[in-house]
Amino acid sequence: MKYAVLISFFGILSLNAQNKQLLYDFYEIPQSLMVNPGVKANEKWHVGIPVLSGISFQAGTSGVTVNDLFANDGIDFNVKVRERVINSLNRRDDFSTTSQIEVFSVGFRGKNRPDDYYSFGMYGETDVIVYWPQDLAILAFEGNGGANIGRSFDLGHLNVRGEMVNVLHFGINRKMNSELTIGVRAKLYSSIFNFKSTNNSGTFRTTPGEQNLLENSIDADLQLQTAGVDEFLDIVDQGSGTRRRDVQNLFTRRVLLGGNLGLGFDAGFTYKLNERTTITGSILDLGFIYNTKDVRNFTLEGTASNEGINVFLPEDIDNLGTDLWQDLIDEIEAAVPFEENTNGYISFRPLKVYGSIRYDFGEGSTKTSSIDCGCAINVVGGTGEQYYRNSLGAQVFLQKRPLGIQPALTGFYQRRLGRSLSLKAAYTVDKYSFSNVGLGLNLQAGPVNFYILGDNLLAYQNIADSHYASFQFGFNIISWNGN
Amino acid sequence: MRPKLSLLFTIVILLFLGISCSDEQDFDQFDDLSITPAVASSIFSFEADEDFINTITTVNTFYTQTFIFEAFSEQFVAERLIEGTITYDFENTTSKPLNIIVEFLDEVGNVLDFENFSIAQGPNETQTRNVAYGPNGKPLDILINTASIRVTGRNLGDNVSVSTEPDAKVTMKSAAEFLFELLE
Repeated sequence: MKYAVLISFFGILSLNAQNKQLLYDFYEIPQSLMVNPGVKANEKWHVGIPVLSGISFQAGTSGVTVNDLFANDGIDFNVKVRERVINSLNRRDDFSTTSQIEVFSVGFRGKNRPDDYYSFGMYGETDVIVYWPQDLAILAFEGNGGANIGRSFDLGHLNVRGEMVNVLHFGINRKMNSELTIGVRAKLYSSIFNFKSTNNSGTFRTTPGEQNLLENSIDADLQLQTAGVDEFLDIVDQGSGTRRRDVQNLFTRRVLLGGNLGLGFDAGFTYKLNERTTITGSILDLGFIYNTKDVRNFTLEGTASNEGINVFLPEDIDNLGTDLWQDLIDEIEAAVPFEENTNGYISFRPLKVYGSIRYDFGEGSTKTSSIDCGCAINVVGGTGEQYYRNSLGAQVFLQKRPLGIQPALTGFYQRRLGRSLSLKAAYTVDKYSFSNVGLGLNLQAGPVNFYILGDNLLAYQNIADSHYASFQFGFNIISWNGN
Repeated sequence: MRPKLSLLFTIVILLFLGISCSDEQDFDQFDDLSITPAVASSIFSFEADEDFINTITTVNTFYTQTFIFEAFSEQFVAERLIEGTITYDFENTTSKPLNIIVEFLDEVGNVLDFENFSIAQGPNETQTRNVAYGPNGKPLDILINTASIRVTGRNLGDNVSVSTEPDAKVTMKSAAEFLFELLE
């Protein structure tokens, strides 16, 4: 049970998150198309190195860190849990993680429509968020007795959502004119598993009773929806020698459209307000998955109160059986039944929105050649654009979470060193950290492109005390636009 | 110059990512975690009015009931029970002294323990008794082995007197609050 608690609270940190502020509008990197399909695409074509073109990992905890609890500091562990978790975290604190791995990625410019850049590929994504169930945790740690008599425990604090999904996508990026580039991307989601318990409500309360000393009352409307989980659990439970192979087979089937399917799209734009100032915006994962296969839902719904066994004489003189306690339990279970069903449900993808403004300065040179140089300019149609060495700007990121919109603000500076090297530094403020400084590098060595982006680097002084960690890297083969 | 810069920058990022520092962590501390919630619930109550008590004339036992009660002997509970208290409240506004006995019985009906309450004739103040179980009280085995509870009410007075109190009656209430060790 301890390990179950440990995995629940910290194991999820091994998964990945959402804000890719360093990648956003880092248009020298082909994967920037994945966070803004309307980014200023420069490539003639690109091919991601399979499985290595885009690997990203993010994990965040807005409340307690690993170091807060497990530092070898001589403080009693129970005191740390009490002070730093039970008494400190609230229902809006979360443990979240998102990871993404690009299986393949290809992009090419239209032969007949050179202003169009087409891209397609496949990636897998895991996204989990668990909000701290404040009142339920207090109930588990302290119970309903003692000082908690009279306290109303909010059952709605149970809030968790997670999924693993494989995404096949196809996008079009079109340069409308020298000022505006727009893009859209269609996505076909193939769910590997999904679970969510996000719209819960109800209370549990113990108060002085009327017919007896205490009255326990519950008003519950709780639901956990799962799809794709049960078959995996069945394989694990069977414990046969083919367990590993069975899991792999099931995983492969789900990846290749054998599970629950969904649709979605991304859209974005880049617009030059003037020669030096550019605004961008994108909306990602506006989509859903319709879960009908391998669905197993659990509900706890109803209202009940009890004051133990209550006998009134003479009224109950004929009702003095021996099963009064069991009758009471049966009565409560009937009033608040724990039930299962296999009803299909729709799960929406975590919607994300980016916006940015960028100011370029420090004139370099105008790109006029067609060599594979990694130039940071779009020269479609043979019209050269001014190349600037520096960019300064700000970004906003909004993500829809079960408890509302989760924002992040970023300020960034980008420096281009010649045609093959670009560096980016960013400072981000969000619910996880006020000291998130990240660095990114994009290197073009001939046709080979390599990028690495790391967030919240200051926290690496003591990684166990970090509220947020994120990194991305990848390799591509790129041919730069020279038409 | 450029390759040197890119190399330097890459090294800086990798240094942060790969050669990051961390204070010494001791994950074995988790074994020390102790979760001991106090669970509170009412158990049993009864109420008998004076008119009813007066109708029982052949014997002085006006009420007796045995009911199955395995809440403490459930394996999950029995293994985690640490200590606790059962609280009994009595209020008597009848005109007669009463005796109420609560007996804890095992599976074959043997009496494991009992509580005997002598209640003076009413009206009087609410009488409360807290019975502790665990290290500072009676053995927990009493509760863990309890399969049923028998409650008996006896009239130690007459069958004709009537209290001047309105709605004269005797009430018994009981509740338990116990500590459970979910994790140790």
